Amino acid sequence: MAEIATPTARRWLSLDGWAVLLSLALTALIWADLLPAVRW
Amino acid sequence: MADIALPRPQRLDFPRRALELIPGIALLAAIGYAGKLIEQSVAAYGKAHALHLPNIEYVLWAILIGLVISNTVGVPRLFKPGVATYEFWLKAGIVFLGVRFLIGDVLRLGGVSLVLVAVELSVSIALMTVLGRWFCLKPKLISLLAIGSSICGVSAIIAAKGAIEADDDDASYAIAAILALGAIALFFFPLIGHALGMSDHAFGLWAGLGVDNTAEATATGALYSDTAAKYAVLAKTTRNATIGFVVLGYAIYWASRGRAQQIDNKAQFLWQKFPKFILGFLFLSLVASLGFFSKEQVASLANLSRWAFLLTFAGVGLMTDFREMRKQGVRPFIVGAVGEVAIAVLTLGLVVAADAVFTI
Repeated sequence: MAEIATPTARRWLSLDGWAVLLSLALTALIWADLLPAVRW
Repeated sequence: MADIALPRPQRLDFPRRALELIPGIALLAAIGYAGKLIEQSVAAYGKAHALHLPNIEYVLWAILIGLVISNTVGVPRLFKPGVATYEFWLKAGIVFLGVRFLIGDVLRLGGVSLVLVAVELSVSIALMTVLGRWFCLKPKLISLLAIGSSICGVSAIIAAKGAIEADDDDASYAIAAILALGAIALFFFPLIGHALGMSDHAFGLWAGLGVDNTAEATATGALYSDTAAKYAVLAKTTRNATIGFVVLGYAIYWASRGRAQQIDNKAQFLWQKFPKFILGFLFLSLVASLGFFSKEQVASLANLSRWAFLLTFAGVGLMTDFREMRKQGVRPFIVGAVGEVAIAVLTLGLVVAADAVFTI
């Protein structure tokens, strides 16, 4: 089963998956005030 | 055991792959930041000398610098893996942008967009198919151009390439044509929008419906205004959500002709093709609407979105190589260009009508 699970996970963590994970991780850090304010 | 038939996944060398990305990402950052500096310098020069210089956004500078590099010296091989991450930054930027929308607005405008997208999809697929046949293009190239112009340029073409078993050459050409036509559109759309005095909402919707590549649609909106960029992303994201259905339709068509594999599990196929970043966008919009973030936190997340888009816009220029057009001759480009102009006029009409009916 691991051989099914691994490609499935890799599909999920394709470009979209990684982009969502990174965005949500940074959002969580900002929500918890663990990152300084981001300026433009 | 069905799982025995599956190929064992290759071991990924993550540290090496990550290292390969660094030069290209640094190039994206350098070009994007250079665009920002040029915009600020031009504004400061105008102010210091009491001149009324046109405000040219960093978006345009970043794209222009990228276009000059890719169409003259070309992007060196060392930078290519990192430059290709521009879509990753685009998707991260769209997820962050979710905090700037109330979920109610997303659903209302998404609903209006969905109606417009349905009309746009049907007409553009029909139009590209008829034009492609008139110009005697290869049938699978017609399918790729139709998919690229109706939904979302690059991602849709890549998704469709595997599903309809198209040639690499046809897919490369369709991607190059869609990117080149989008690059042309992003110069003309804002001029037309200003000439017609379009509102930010209406222009954003038009850019999202009429420009095919998500990065270029976002850039087109950003060239008009920050608000227009928001609405361009919303309309374009609605279009992207339909990717699975259109690609599935084409896959079934080619499979029925014995020129592509049958798709057994259609629900799984739709889920695989669904752009997951839309879920991240909706989630952040929902969470922000429920008041989870302070005003300062929303500002930080919106700024993160801008930084991610800055990398994306640099990538748009670097990935657009007009020289790719020569490989398949002028006919597919004419089909693409005629089709895109017709779709731009149609979507402009749709948006103006929707503006009057729904007061978007």
